[in-house]
Amino acid sequence: MRITVNGRQRDVSSEPVKTLLHVLREDLGLTGTKDGCSSGDCGACTVMLDGRVVNSCMVMVAQADGASVVTVEGIATGGQPAEVLHPLQKAFSQCWSFQCGFCTQGMLVSCYDLLQTNDNPSREDILTAIAGNFCRCTGYQAVVTAVQQAAAEIRTSDAGAQNERA
Amino acid sequence: MSAPETGIVGRWTSSPGATDIVTGRARYCPDIQLPGMLTGKLLYSPHPRARIRDINVSEAQQMPGVHAVITHADIPGENSYLYASPDQPILAIDEVRFQGDAVAAVAAVDEDTALAALRAIKVDYEVLEGIFDPLEAMQADADQVVTGEENVMLGMTFRSGDVASAMASADVIIENTYRTQWAEHAFLETEGSVARMEEGGGITVWSSCQAPHRDRMQVARALGLPESSVRVITPYIGGAFGGKDEAHVQMHAALLAFTAQRPVKLIRGRRESMLTHVKRHPIMVECTTAADSSGLILAVKARAIGDAGPYTNASHEVMNKFGEFIGGPYKVQNLEVEKIAVRTNNPICGAFRGFGAPQAAFVYECQMDEIARKLGLDPLEIRLRNGVDTGTQLCTGVVVRDGDAMKASLRKAAQVTNWKNRDQMNKRPAPHLRRGWGMATILKGAGMGRGLADHAGVLLEMHRDGSVLLNSAAADMGQGITTVLVQLAAERLGVKVSDVRINRADTDRAPDAGASCASRQAMVSGNAVLLAADDIRKTLLTLAAMKTKVESDRLGLRDGRLLIDGEPTDLTVQLLAERASNWGYPLQAQGRAHLEYPSDAPRVPYRYSSEIFQFCTQVAQVLVDIETGQVSVERLVAVHDAGKMINPGGVYGQIEGGVAQGIGYALSEELVVEKGHTMNPSLENYVIPMALDLPEIEMHVLEFPQDGAGPMGAKGVAEAPIIPTAPAIRNAILDATGKTLHQLPMNAERVLKALQD
Repeated sequence: MRITVNGRQRDVSSEPVKTLLHVLREDLGLTGTKDGCSSGDCGACTVMLDGRVVNSCMVMVAQADGASVVTVEGIATGGQPAEVLHPLQKAFSQCWSFQCGFCTQGMLVSCYDLLQTNDNPSREDILTAIAGNFCRCTGYQAVVTAVQQAAAEIRTSDAGAQNERA
Repeated sequence: MSAPETGIVGRWTSSPGATDIVTGRARYCPDIQLPGMLTGKLLYSPHPRARIRDINVSEAQQMPGVHAVITHADIPGENSYLYASPDQPILAIDEVRFQGDAVAAVAAVDEDTALAALRAIKVDYEVLEGIFDPLEAMQADADQVVTGEENVMLGMTFRSGDVASAMASADVIIENTYRTQWAEHAFLETEGSVARMEEGGGITVWSSCQAPHRDRMQVARALGLPESSVRVITPYIGGAFGGKDEAHVQMHAALLAFTAQRPVKLIRGRRESMLTHVKRHPIMVECTTAADSSGLILAVKARAIGDAGPYTNASHEVMNKFGEFIGGPYKVQNLEVEKIAVRTNNPICGAFRGFGAPQAAFVYECQMDEIARKLGLDPLEIRLRNGVDTGTQLCTGVVVRDGDAMKASLRKAAQVTNWKNRDQMNKRPAPHLRRGWGMATILKGAGMGRGLADHAGVLLEMHRDGSVLLNSAAADMGQGITTVLVQLAAERLGVKVSDVRINRADTDRAPDAGASCASRQAMVSGNAVLLAADDIRKTLLTLAAMKTKVESDRLGLRDGRLLIDGEPTDLTVQLLAERASNWGYPLQAQGRAHLEYPSDAPRVPYRYSSEIFQFCTQVAQVLVDIETGQVSVERLVAVHDAGKMINPGGVYGQIEGGVAQGIGYALSEELVVEKGHTMNPSLENYVIPMALDLPEIEMHVLEFPQDGAGPMGAKGVAEAPIIPTAPAIRNAILDATGKTLHQLPMNAERVLKALQD
């Protein structure tokens, strides 16, 4: 099987009935994606599969054959040491949008997906986007703050880029 | 020496681990990979109570890929946990006493092989009739849950004043029976541990825990090793809330690594986690409260029976704290509280955010509103009339040193909610909907309590380039203690937060800091960091005084520079550190702090009383659907006293998260246990509010700095926010419907039943 993970083609020789989560963590060493329940209830294992947000514990790896997957490790650009954090990642850090951080990786992927199609999300939009991401430490408010802050930063930099072109 | 404030303390500060977390690089126990590492798994009892006739592991041992199969007979040291009393075996011997008792452990090359090995273990059980009702367990002729141990593990009555006379002279008496539920921490990272034998026979254990030094003691006891041979490290930890205060699988992982002589990773699955770790105690409380016609509380009498499950764990502490706080933040002169903890074959109960205080607050704040209704008093008024002040002596004997925050939090909550005019809002927005408002106010101790060990040490070092290394063993489970400690070190040493690196808790690197529990670490470890930093600061300023010929009391440090009379100079902290290094002055310090209880305080008859108090008030606005019984929280205002905020991000985070847990505790969270079997051990069926279920939580923080607490008067804030939420919501339901609920959670079924009665 071949899966494109965070833009890189990876050959996977795992049993096809293993979950995508298992393959990401155990075979590809991408442990940023977490296992909170193994039953699709908590969203800690959220990744993007061909542009759709899924619980990777509920996807058999065979279903991902030939697909493109984005995990939390694929949100920043540039790679270390010249890594550039995505505005969401900066905002999550600044706003105390997480405490223990175990839900954060999945939460970030859900929010990253939201910002692909909505550059000015309302509180409702954000809460709907993270409706499947369980967090036991917060009450999700600091996530709303961070996503709106990140969206504003992206709008500003997009506007700046357009002005430059003009 | 008073340090000039650099503005680091009190400023929103990101966690030192933030970048690791948002990039997915932060490693939690499940993320640790070691060469040759095996997967560990535990076999649990399918029965709440059974005798073990035989355990046959021979087939499992011979399976290819299986490297260790152990039972109680293979434990070289002590076969017991030791939170309080050594009555819970690590691996069951001849009897299982609840569903979470482990019987055997295996380590194999992968998870599938380990699970197959578990299936190959043959345990011959003789199923016994369990003891599931605490009242039955208390009968003299009841079977003993743990042979040789009384079922009533704690039965104490505390009396203050003359309750009988006070009751006789009362104008109002309110008597109710309350019931609370088993509640689950549901930390997102389940319990886990990784263990590796080291050269020389020692062992390293990575542990998702709240108390690394206590883990070290427990692992050493189990393996029969000296504590000096055991090293416990906390990697990133995915939440705890009291549920990782006691050790869980650390000893099993260590025993497997010891037997297999290979590294072992043992992570509980979600179902396994929910079946095995301690829960919040369900408590049945008979409470009588007496007041005079003006609403002054004359006496409180309560009898509380907590279902402990089979083993002691933190039941003494939880029931003791229940009794300590049952009087609430009020001037109650006459109190009688009977605290009982009973062994059963139900789930084991222990520490969970608040240690019995949430159950107590549900009782006293519900009673308060019922008295107010009977007398036609406003809920705010009756609380202000009875509330403590600075100098009030509680019925426990403790004098409240700084009590101004109690009434301040009430007044602030009333002001921001426009409490006095609340009835101007539509109380009946639709024919099937009723709206109501409720408030609750509480106190909760911060710190372990008088007479209990409450100390912490840290090691701090400044290098020749001015960078700082901080080693603390205070476990950070997400509550943010590492951020607070880094801020305090940076503040006192006049450097940037980013100049201070803190290691994850490691018993080989840092002295004991005690457990991260009881809202204590920001105070105790915080004070320890200030002491260590002052030591280094003194050396830096001595060197600066020699160089500048200015007396050191005119000198300060800020933003990496030396200050003279508060003005920055060209002399940098880095240069001072370099001179210290060149001349052989050590810039290393150990700080040790403990919470002090004033020696001039009167004798305190209530054992282990807290003397530093968290105060908070919450107001809930709810909408009740009288056709379905569904309650939705429309608005939740929380006003908390933090003493002094060190990191506002962490303080607001604790409040928001505590209230969210409180809403779940109030309305939906309940572990359903039938004859010792947990019926809903999954995140699907144990109903926790998610993002779309919660209201926007409005938070207000008061700062009444307290002497004798933490740095700059800071107080712990972690436990208080969960405590008033359930009674505030309950009182709002009462306001909306006129119905008095006395049982948690107040789910649609129970509310509908109350409406129909």
